[in-house]
Amino acid sequence: MNLYQTLLLILIFLPVAAAVLVACLGPARAQLVRQISLLASVAGAVIALVIAIGFISNRDHAKQIHRFEPMFVPGNTTDAPHATTWNLIDLNMGSEASKDKNAPKLGAIQFFVGVDGLNIWLVVLTAILMVSSILISWNAIDERVHEFHAWLFVLNFGMVGVFLAFDIILFYVFFELTLVPLFFLIGIWGGPERRYAARKFFIYTLAGSVLTFLGLLAVVVVCYQQAVPHELTFSIPELVTRFNHLLESAPASERAFYASFQFWVFLAMMAGFAIKVPLFPVHTWLPLAHVEAPTAGSVLLAGVLLKMGTYGFMRLCLPLAPDASITVGVPVIGTLSVIGILYGAFCARAQDDIKKLVAYSSVSHLGFCTLGMFALNSAGLTGSLMQMINHGLSTGALFLIVGMIYERYHTRMIGDYGGLGSKLKVISFCMVFVSLSSVGLPGLNGFVGEALIFFGMYDLRPVLAILGTGGIILGAWYLMSMLRQVFFGELKEPDTHGHEVHDINAREVAALAPLLVLCLLLGVYPQPVLNSVKPDIEVVERIVQKRIDNMNTKVADGR
Amino acid sequence: MHPYASQLAELFHHLYPEMALVLCACVLFIGGLFKADRRLWGIVALAGLATAFALTLISPEAQSLPGTAVFGVPVVFDSLAHLTRLLALASGAMFILLCWDESPERFVADHHACFLLIIAGVSMVGSANDLCVLFLALELISIPTYILLYLPKHDDASQEASMKYFLLSVLASAFLLFGFSYLFGITGTTNIAGIMQVMLGANDEERKAVAGMAQISMLMIAAGLCFRVAAVPFHFYAPDVYQGTSTSGAALLSYIPKIAGFVAMLRIFGFVLPPGVDSAGHRAIGMALSDQTPTLFWFLAALTMTIGNILAILQDNLKRLFAYSSISHTGYMLVALASAPYLSGPDAATNGVAALLFYLVAYGAMTFGVFATILMLHRTDRPVESVDDLAGLAKSHPRVALLLTVLCLSLLGFPFTAGFTGKFFVFFGALATHAPGSTLPHWLYPTLAVVGMVNAAIGGWYYLRLISVMYLRTSVKPIETCGSIPGLATLAICVALTLGLSVPPGANWLLRSVRQTTDRTAIVAQPQALNMVPGP
Repeated sequence: MNLYQTLLLILIFLPVAAAVLVACLGPARAQLVRQISLLASVAGAVIALVIAIGFISNRDHAKQIHRFEPMFVPGNTTDAPHATTWNLIDLNMGSEASKDKNAPKLGAIQFFVGVDGLNIWLVVLTAILMVSSILISWNAIDERVHEFHAWLFVLNFGMVGVFLAFDIILFYVFFELTLVPLFFLIGIWGGPERRYAARKFFIYTLAGSVLTFLGLLAVVVVCYQQAVPHELTFSIPELVTRFNHLLESAPASERAFYASFQFWVFLAMMAGFAIKVPLFPVHTWLPLAHVEAPTAGSVLLAGVLLKMGTYGFMRLCLPLAPDASITVGVPVIGTLSVIGILYGAFCARAQDDIKKLVAYSSVSHLGFCTLGMFALNSAGLTGSLMQMINHGLSTGALFLIVGMIYERYHTRMIGDYGGLGSKLKVISFCMVFVSLSSVGLPGLNGFVGEALIFFGMYDLRPVLAILGTGGIILGAWYLMSMLRQVFFGELKEPDTHGHEVHDINAREVAALAPLLVLCLLLGVYPQPVLNSVKPDIEVVERIVQKRIDNMNTKVADGR
Repeated sequence: MHPYASQLAELFHHLYPEMALVLCACVLFIGGLFKADRRLWGIVALAGLATAFALTLISPEAQSLPGTAVFGVPVVFDSLAHLTRLLALASGAMFILLCWDESPERFVADHHACFLLIIAGVSMVGSANDLCVLFLALELISIPTYILLYLPKHDDASQEASMKYFLLSVLASAFLLFGFSYLFGITGTTNIAGIMQVMLGANDEERKAVAGMAQISMLMIAAGLCFRVAAVPFHFYAPDVYQGTSTSGAALLSYIPKIAGFVAMLRIFGFVLPPGVDSAGHRAIGMALSDQTPTLFWFLAALTMTIGNILAILQDNLKRLFAYSSISHTGYMLVALASAPYLSGPDAATNGVAALLFYLVAYGAMTFGVFATILMLHRTDRPVESVDDLAGLAKSHPRVALLLTVLCLSLLGFPFTAGFTGKFFVFFGALATHAPGSTLPHWLYPTLAVVGMVNAAIGGWYYLRLISVMYLRTSVKPIETCGSIPGLATLAICVALTLGLSVPPGANWLLRSVRQTTDRTAIVAQPQALNMVPGP
């Protein structure tokens, strides 16, 4: 096993070790718990960055890849560099399909993890936001500190696992795993309505994801039953390749079956992913969960967990139900995204609670994400992936700042504030900076993603693209209104009951600075990231475009 | 000696574990007259179970029956019998630990004795190869259960519960006998292997001629056994009886009859054929009695899951809640049964019988764990009866709360627990039923899977309610008891099993074991067994 494979394993299991360790330390040693947590999360971030650098430098950019090819897969062999031999549950029906120990076995659920262009930056984002989350909770959380950090690390384990998993069952296992820690984080350390928010979040997401599970299983089953010879596999790259091969080689008599099959699989997957994103009609859990969650929970929820939905669409839904994504996905999800963008923006404008405003802005921004994805071309997909990262950075930072202000004044009502810029100079600067990045000011990160998304969508459905751009203007409107009210004008502070209010401190700088730096970096020089994701984006694009061409020729034949 | 006589004599070697259990029960019955000592009789009962276990291990695993001898013997020892016996003994040991402190000291010997008889009965169900033996084994479970339900508690509710269970159980037995009599009428034998051979060997015309009778028989047998596993519409007793009887009684009812009921179903409907029965025919497993068996189980499964889960949401009493939860889990297991016939081909991606047994084992760990927790925390001055009584458990007993949370998550079907792995096998099977070329409507089983998964989400509602009560609420009067050592041990073992059976190597080990039950190739490929018949 080489260095990077080991690092990848450490990245996944370090949070588990940290969770167990801090849980064992007990409630008495809160400060030690915080220090250890910080150490573990910083270590995680460093490892993630090292892996990312390794990924960029080791990847052969000249080579055009034809399927998902994860790198640094633990348990791979020279025979099968992009697969693994680490079996979890062996479903082989007694047949000794492969006795060779080194050949990757089929018919087993495997511990198949690795990095590729689609997930590497999301993993880095997760690791960085973990550091910020722990720093921002330093003083804000002062009861059951060890439990809080333990749940935070379990959440970290789930998030990293979802992105890295290349086995379809492993993906789902991690996808579900994130629910429990977040349930506790919201339910125990949340705001006044935390119980209701936590349960609503849990049930809502669970209800969707069980259907997703069936959709995933159905694909596995069809790939097993229709392919000759029958080989059971749960590996995502294998499934994608095989399923698309099946689609291409299907005789005319089976086309109807595959069309309806994909339709149902698409619906099943959409049930889980759309709730997670969240798309417009099923977004109602989100504002509640965001507002009630402690700051660290909100940061991770907005920054990472919502991306699991969009990532799921990109990794599984598009490649495994390409026809349905074209025929159903584009009109339905495209429309819902635009509605979400506009509706979320108007809702955000109407809020008088800053946190709620940011929460609704998430609904709006994630709409851009799905809109770009269902442009189904390279620009749109790249933009969508960029938007995932950008939204994680800027909304994460927004929640951090809201948390800082709340910690100082214990209110989040916009009406309670005014002219904070004259008192909390650095915080105000950060807020303006992050808001501009969120709005999509050229030169900051938001612009890159949004521009690509609209280039992509304009190609496919100009109307949707034009309507969607309205969201940017509305975004500027609600964020600038909030900024004007809270940070500019005459100073108006809520009663602090005699506490001296200070500007940002070193700990908060450490939490916020990496995000701001990355916002700027991705805004002025996004090229390395864009280059590194390109081959994998093209894999998805090729799969979908091939189906589009196929449909067009069929239509042409029909005439 | 006549070869048949020597075979019968050999059978007794295989029955040593059951004999040990009955013997131990006799010792307990007699000894209980002289001394009332909880610890002593508990240890004796455990020793009896351990002896039976040791005898199971040293007895030859599979019966070396010559070719057709299976049609002459009343009991058969194949992998399913072996697995059932191990499962019965393991759950027996868990149960003795679980009720260590609950049964009144005066009756403790009788209590354990009755229980050992039940375990012997469950074990016998697994190896029954004759309708009469099967019926007797089931009665060997029922009759001591009536006593057990009444022994620990003597209040009105307990009386009502015992009476209710008694009357309905007798009715179920009557259904069962009725079905058996028709089966005997059709095939002319009470030997299950013989019945299977006749039914599977019949050609289409013959099957058509007896289809009506066979279907009545199937319905009646299903009705009788559905009572044991608490499937809708034979579930009505469960909530009342669970609530009325002692907690250990509820634990017993939630699991032990389920083992017996499901294993009996596997035997009598031909899901697991005794070795020696020729299954080379074109008929799928589980369709021996009637081609409509999967249809029946389809509806039973859908109804049981849905009604169990929806009614569970409405409950406030913990035992009632877990009664309905138990019903809903029966539903998931019925999904496995319903899909099993279509998964028996050589290309099947998975195996319905194995999924059922996997789920059964996993469910045992979960349900015993839950009832052990309730029992441990309950005191007369601070009862744990309703959901709200668990409030603040995370503050007063953080470890117990965590363990109970794991069990609830497993019941919910959450990853990293045996409940998830079990549900995965069940629903993977349901989706894999539609092999290319089959005449089955292709939406049929996926619909069942969707119903099941929606139910899993509904289940999430009330299991989550328990978790949120424990963690997110505080209690006016916190629970003070710290729990007994046997109770804690039960809980710890159950949680360890729940977690251990979800990941390798536990999951793979269990999967292999449950798969052996249907592994016909291994049994057929033993031609040397034929040579072991002593010549006349």
